[in-house]
Amino acid sequence: MTASTSSPAPQPPRLLVRTLGVILATVALLLIAVFVFVFVSVRDQVRQSVAAGLESGQRIYAAVENRRQRELQSQAATLAENPTLKATIDTYAAEARTASQARIQEWLATIDNELEKVAARVDSDALILADTHQTTLAAAGRLGDRWPRGRPIAMAAGKPSDTIDGVVRAGGMLFRVVSVPLQLADVPIGTLYLAENLDDRYAKELASLANAEIAIVSDGLLVASTLPQATAREFEAAAASRQPDGTAVLDGQAYAFRRLVQLGSTSFYALGSIDESSRAATRTAIRNLALIAAGAAALALIASFWLARMLSEPVGRLSASLAAAGRTPGARVQLARTGSSREVDTLTDTFNALMASVAKAEEETQAAYTGSIRALATALDARDPYTAGHSERVSVLSVAIARELKLPDDDIEVIRLGALLHDIGKIGVPDEVLLKAGALTEAEFNIIKQHPVAGARILRSVPFLLPHIPIVELHHERPDGRGYPHGLRGDEIPMHARIVHVADAYDAITSKRAYRNARPSGDALREIWRFAGTEFHAEVVGALATALPGVTSDTGELVVDHGEQVHA
Amino acid sequence: MLRGRVLFGACLLLSALAAGAQPQETGSIAGHIRLTARVRAPLPANPYPSRAIGRHEAPAAPEIRNVVVYLRDPGFKGALPASHVELHQENETFVPHVLAITKGSTVDFPNDDPFFHNVFSLSSAATFNLGRYPRGKSKAQTFNKAGLVKVFCDIHSHMSASILVLDHPYFAIPGTDGNYEIRNVPAGQYTIIGWHERVGERAASVRVDAGRQAAVDLTVPVEDVP
Repeated sequence: MTASTSSPAPQPPRLLVRTLGVILATVALLLIAVFVFVFVSVRDQVRQSVAAGLESGQRIYAAVENRRQRELQSQAATLAENPTLKATIDTYAAEARTASQARIQEWLATIDNELEKVAARVDSDALILADTHQTTLAAAGRLGDRWPRGRPIAMAAGKPSDTIDGVVRAGGMLFRVVSVPLQLADVPIGTLYLAENLDDRYAKELASLANAEIAIVSDGLLVASTLPQATAREFEAAAASRQPDGTAVLDGQAYAFRRLVQLGSTSFYALGSIDESSRAATRTAIRNLALIAAGAAALALIASFWLARMLSEPVGRLSASLAAAGRTPGARVQLARTGSSREVDTLTDTFNALMASVAKAEEETQAAYTGSIRALATALDARDPYTAGHSERVSVLSVAIARELKLPDDDIEVIRLGALLHDIGKIGVPDEVLLKAGALTEAEFNIIKQHPVAGARILRSVPFLLPHIPIVELHHERPDGRGYPHGLRGDEIPMHARIVHVADAYDAITSKRAYRNARPSGDALREIWRFAGTEFHAEVVGALATALPGVTSDTGELVVDHGEQVHA
Repeated sequence: MLRGRVLFGACLLLSALAAGAQPQETGSIAGHIRLTARVRAPLPANPYPSRAIGRHEAPAAPEIRNVVVYLRDPGFKGALPASHVELHQENETFVPHVLAITKGSTVDFPNDDPFFHNVFSLSSAATFNLGRYPRGKSKAQTFNKAGLVKVFCDIHSHMSASILVLDHPYFAIPGTDGNYEIRNVPAGQYTIIGWHERVGERAASVRVDAGRQAAVDLTVPVEDVP
């Protein structure tokens, strides 16, 4: 259950990354769908709105143009009431065939002069006076020279006398004309025309009026327009088969067009670029969508973080607890409920139940081990009647010393069991050596000296006894280096082993042996004090002195924790 | 129509009796004039009425009264009888609209309207301007040259009149019924003209016999196709 952070295998992505990925992908898909929809519908709507704009432009144009024509007609009607003009025309008409050339010139000069004065008062491009046969009598104004005398006025549409306004071609130019009759008592004697040249300036004015691009086409030829050259040329090329309204692709751009008015073979078209309008509309839509997308992404990010944290934090807490539990084997691990979600809590509960049962099993196993080891130690002590209960007593005394030395509880537990097993290696010492009453030979003593190493070897086969091995192996080492089996010195000897060494010596001195009687506690302490610093660690001996009253009765007997009284 | 003819027959008889006293042998010409063209044709599409004020209060004279019937170059010799006639200005109209006079005649132009009028002409036969004058005043103009004289008012641009100045006395303006009569015409072969200032003229040949009446009916400008 340890964290596998250092594992070389490729790791799956973090939960946060996954959540983020899923949410962002969803958002992106949604946004793409919205984008596509917006693009399609924007274009469609723009096409409709451009067409509607042209239609309303046409209506406005029709209204304004109608009014303008009426105003022009009213202006022309006022101008037509010029008495001199009318008298001269009527006289000229009556006598043109009979009068002298000089007289005719006088009349015409009078007409010209009068017409020039009238023309100065209007802003028409030309002012034309025609007789009852619609033949030009005189013309004045900026483009008056385009209307030579004697030339019939060919109205582009209908019979001239029936037409009040229309389009007339004169002098290579196209004119929009408004006409009023000159009358003498309801009898027409001529016609006055106000003409406006259909040039680009006219188209520009019309464009601002209709709020659209303007193209004027006459007899299939472009007369004037506000469109770019290439676009206008393409429109002209397609003008022959032109419907009154619709859409067309001109110079790669989509346009909606509508005929504002048709005068004879001359048509006035209003055009609106769909692409341009939809670009603007799409730009706005994209900007708004981008804002929404950014907002959605930010929200998704926050939501992902929150979601991932909600999921990963309890799991992380759980695994951290497990990791901590894994570092202290045997510790009873109980995880707190995170309260974040039912699933995680269930997991926690299940784990806690599992841990409880594992701990219980472990406890039972350890208890069984400890029991059997204690039995083994007891049995070992029982080989020699003089050493009966020795291991138990050393264990109790060692624990007392360790407590005195303020060792941690974990260490104390290791010492308790280690001390119980410290002589386990004597199992391999033959009885004749172990139980020999007399002095040992060199060889025999060497056999005795093997027991710490033998004990360590025995314990190595039990994994949970590994921490106890130093006690067993090193409990005969001395600070001055004259101990066995390795001859370690001072600080090289672990504290556990030092404690057990002192406790072992004390118990040996206070126990009866075949070759001597048991000595009292005070003697034993004095004896041990004598060798403090050489055979024993002084610090541990100090602790023994302090701890001893707590573990012995007044008679100097050692009180064993399981209540057994052992004779000193 | 038949009754008209009978009536004319009686007139003719009377005039023949009167002519009988004259030294020269003369006859007369009589007939009926029909106008077949529409003269007053305001343009249907003109949204603005004429500027004339109160012109329609008085009933307009019938168009037939604007026709003059005369002989073309009858070769009149002798003293031309000069007349003195009036051409009124009333209700912003020249009344009558068409006048036929002999050369040397004088026309008075009395102003009957409560505002100023003007009389002027640019015609070759008589170019004049009588200036502006108020109600009750009158100005005269003598016409000493044959020809058509168009008369206008420079205040009221819709006013116009035509004065046909002839160098012989053989002319007539038909009555409202279209009938005319030219008397005391020397016997001979003539061309008779029916003239209207707008719709044009129509000519016909006529032979006048002494003491007799020649009948010439004219349709101006053209005969109706039946």
